[in-house]
Amino acid sequence: MAKIKKKGQSGQAKNYITRTQAVKKLQISLPDFRKLCIWKGIYPREPRSRKKVSKSATASTTFYYTKDIQYLQHEPLLQKFREQKVLEKKISRALGRGDVSDAARLERNAGRPDQTGKPRYTLHHVIRERYPTFIDAIRDLDDCLSMLFLFANLPSTTSVPAKMIARCERLCHEFQHYLITSHSLRKSFLSIKGIYYQANIQGEDVLWLVPYKFNQRVVGDIDFRIMGTFVEFYMTLLGFVNYRLYSSIGLKYPPKFDQTKDDKGAELAALTLEGVNLATNEETTKAITNGEGHGPDPKVQAEVDKLVKKLRTESAADKADEEMADGEEEEEEKATDAIDKFEPAAPGGDVLPQPTYSGNNPSKLFANCTLFLSRETPRQSLEFILRAFGCKRIGWDPILGEGSFTTDESDPSITHQIVDRPIVQAATTEQGDGEDNQTAQKLGPNQRYPGRIYVQPQWVWDCINDEELKSPELYAPGASLPPHLSPFVKPTQGQYDPTVPLEEQETEGEALDAAIEDAKDEVESDEENSEADNDMDVADDNDNDEEEDSDAEEDEEVEDEEDEDEDEEEVLQRQRELEAEISGKAVKSKQVDPKLKAKLEKKKALERKKKEEAEDLERAKGMLSKKKRKLFEQMQYTNKKKSTEDMKLRSKRRKLEKEKAAGKA
Amino acid sequence: MPVLKAPSGNIDAPSQYKQPSRKGKKAWRKNVDVTDITKGLDQLNTQKIIGGVIAEKDSADLFVLDVKGDASITKKFPKIKKGLKSDEILAARSAVPAVPMRKRPAHDKTTDGVLPVKRQRKEYVSGKELSRLKRVADGQHDSTVDIVDAAFDPWADEPQPEPEKAVELAFLPEKEKPKKPKTLEQQSISLSANGKPIPAVYVPKGGASYNPDFTEYRERLIEESEKAVEAEKKRLAELEAERIKLEAAARSAAEAEAAEARADLSEWEDDSAWEGFESAGEELNVKAKRPRRKTQAERNRIKRRKEEERRQKHEAAMKAKNAQAERIKQIALEVAEKERQLALEKAEFSDAEEIGDDEKLRRKQFGRYRLPEKDLELVLPDELQDSLRLLKPEGNLLKDRYRSMLVRGKMEARRKIPYKRLAKTKITEKWTYKDFQLPA
Repeated sequence: MAKIKKKGQSGQAKNYITRTQAVKKLQISLPDFRKLCIWKGIYPREPRSRKKVSKSATASTTFYYTKDIQYLQHEPLLQKFREQKVLEKKISRALGRGDVSDAARLERNAGRPDQTGKPRYTLHHVIRERYPTFIDAIRDLDDCLSMLFLFANLPSTTSVPAKMIARCERLCHEFQHYLITSHSLRKSFLSIKGIYYQANIQGEDVLWLVPYKFNQRVVGDIDFRIMGTFVEFYMTLLGFVNYRLYSSIGLKYPPKFDQTKDDKGAELAALTLEGVNLATNEETTKAITNGEGHGPDPKVQAEVDKLVKKLRTESAADKADEEMADGEEEEEEKATDAIDKFEPAAPGGDVLPQPTYSGNNPSKLFANCTLFLSRETPRQSLEFILRAFGCKRIGWDPILGEGSFTTDESDPSITHQIVDRPIVQAATTEQGDGEDNQTAQKLGPNQRYPGRIYVQPQWVWDCINDEELKSPELYAPGASLPPHLSPFVKPTQGQYDPTVPLEEQETEGEALDAAIEDAKDEVESDEENSEADNDMDVADDNDNDEEEDSDAEEDEEVEDEEDEDEDEEEVLQRQRELEAEISGKAVKSKQVDPKLKAKLEKKKALERKKKEEAEDLERAKGMLSKKKRKLFEQMQYTNKKKSTEDMKLRSKRRKLEKEKAAGKA
Repeated sequence: MPVLKAPSGNIDAPSQYKQPSRKGKKAWRKNVDVTDITKGLDQLNTQKIIGGVIAEKDSADLFVLDVKGDASITKKFPKIKKGLKSDEILAARSAVPAVPMRKRPAHDKTTDGVLPVKRQRKEYVSGKELSRLKRVADGQHDSTVDIVDAAFDPWADEPQPEPEKAVELAFLPEKEKPKKPKTLEQQSISLSANGKPIPAVYVPKGGASYNPDFTEYRERLIEESEKAVEAEKKRLAELEAERIKLEAAARSAAEAEAAEARADLSEWEDDSAWEGFESAGEELNVKAKRPRRKTQAERNRIKRRKEEERRQKHEAAMKAKNAQAERIKQIALEVAEKERQLALEKAEFSDAEEIGDDEKLRRKQFGRYRLPEKDLELVLPDELQDSLRLLKPEGNLLKDRYRSMLVRGKMEARRKIPYKRLAKTKITEKWTYKDFQLPA
């Protein structure tokens, strides 16, 4: 006979433990338990049958694995929690006695670990335990970065102390510096929620979301104690990740932090990276963040500026001419820089990867640009992105904080300016007469510095996502921008993609259909043209269309005309028949264009081929098991649904393009 | 050196203690006779007050050797009139100086010119600090974790140095390290309806762009608006159901009332006959049916009719049954078709998504509270701007992050409890009117 099992001694009843039981077992308070679970990565579990686990369990009871909790008992943090509890007890006892100074002393001593010799605890060992390898840590970086960037942008409150925010901010800036120096930022996307960034760190894609500045409402229904626990953990994690990343590219961690610069809003520029020479263990300071190191001597620059100003006042017209020439040169350069595109040799061949504009090196995308950010643009994100894509010289309005390459908008070295203000309609404000320096330097609402390109911020994002400098005309201030597409959505095979020309994405059958239709139209119009030659009264088909487009009033008339048209055709046909009868020849069938014929045949062949393929599939399907067959059917169903939608979109576009072409011709 | 000495102590002959026994109540401290000691102490005090303990004084202070009498004294000192006893008592002053009321002696005005160091009030704790201390004692301290700059690489592959064991301790068994359970490696339970893991950050779709492509935006708008319409419909349906329920309740109540009223009324009518009022028509209605035997013909007729009825009933039932059987076949076909369709759609849904959906959640969640709803993140068509400057960001990232943690099953949902639950106060009337007194 099998051994009799007692109820509640094995199986689910043993494997799971309720939260209350766990808290009692560990002898800590519930908030401490929550903290510990978050740090150690112990999550609530769902037993298959609650009734079997515990008779008294209600729907809201939370369960954990007993083994997890058992393992927690060895946690060194537990001791720290207990020590904290002891301290709390001491303080409350002192307060109860009315001995406030004693309570204060106890609390003070606990906060000064260097003097009491009792160190506060860190989460270092937990990091190693939860992420056995560095790659594991990077895989979990999405959440970590989103959280820390969010907290770096929060206003400080009692629940979110300013110290924590400053720490988050610094860690984030350090991380951004790594991305800038290693050029590992890949994509970015402006969404309605915030700005998404994607970076590739050691082969792993990391995606995170950064909120827009000054936008965070702190709502009441969020438990900041729990969020704070997560943030504490993630701060430790990002610190280590930064350390590893910095040392992997030969930089010293932590980078030098300049408090005064940070107070003035320098953000990224408040940190100075230092290289560490491994051989001699000597530290070599490199000014990586700013272009100043690469630029000319500031004194010389100042003199040059003065000279330029002088020149400008002397001969403004000359200078304008020069700059115009410069601009032309630039354009010429661009024209020569264009690279041939690879096209498939045979129709229906594989889509070849196209070479990118800047010679496969997105890290040097903006290397030759000097940008200036107007004061209405989001500086933080723009600065980060531009630097990550090789821009060394970024200037901005002094209102946006310190650390810029130049704050002078009239700097002649600026090649691009990013503006996001509307074109003021009420223009023609009078120029300042040059006496007042400040007004002389400022420009009127619609005035521009010649020789530089003005673009809207979206240009930067679209450039980096497509890894090429997009043509700035589309993004000129005041122009209606092209849609900002998500760079993360990869177009699948055969899916409609608005950015790709129609020829590249349409299927063979569709192309043929379209061609046949075109040919038919042509034939018809030819016929009608010949008819028009015969009979001057009949309006041309094309004319008809144009009239329809241009004049809505004449619609009725046009319809009448069309009716007449058809009548004419019938009459003509009859006439032909009569003629044939008289002459004794067979009725001339409609002239068929040889091209059209060939295409029709091709289409037929294609259809035949398709049919054959379908049959083959059908046969193959017969071989499959029932389950697999069903799955296959499902797949086909969805594919068909999607492809019809895509076809519709493409046909729509074809129509539009044709109309456009007709309009042009 | 005092010549004379006042007799001190007990001058009686040595004797036994007055306390004859150490047993019983008499041995209790309070019962021990200490009158002579107290008397002595009183005496001492009075002596001090008067001017010092006599026994300790020098004899020169106490006594003067009068060599020759003074005749003038009698003149100098007129006969002292004896004053009142009360005046004497009131005028009496103690030789012991009074306790000074000043903090510092008044005469100590001169200084050495150096200002005394101001005493630091180390003990002082401000009210703010006190309230903080109280909070700390209550367990609400700010973070105790030390976040320091990372100074080492936790993932560096340093060789683990094996601690060399002393030879003489080799016999000791090695201390076993706690083994990490396999359950710790398991991923958290995703709360999405399809059970697939939910990513920390969703890859944004094109429709979420600040300047979206039209088709993508329209798709998203339609999707969201359909959802809103669905929710509104549900709400309205609930309202309607509630209304119908209330109406039905009201109707049934009214009916019950009406029935009651009718019952009352009928009683009246019954009474009317009793009371002698009778309407004219009433006697016509009464048709007394005379009991008589059914004839055979009648019986046969009834029998036939019953038979016919039974047959008809049976036929109708059979017909219905046949129709139902037909219908069943049809329904089965329909159901099969529908199921196939559903399965296809479902498969499409699940096939397309490797990742979980954080809007359609599973029924069973962790903890007592429901998860917060996801914010609607959509810019309405009339608010859609193509300038980044004019963009009004949608949604709340803080909430979004919090919800993401919950949805990924990292913890159970919690709700902020702004106040501690207080004990309910119960207000009662004082029954003073019961505290009457009987007239005497």
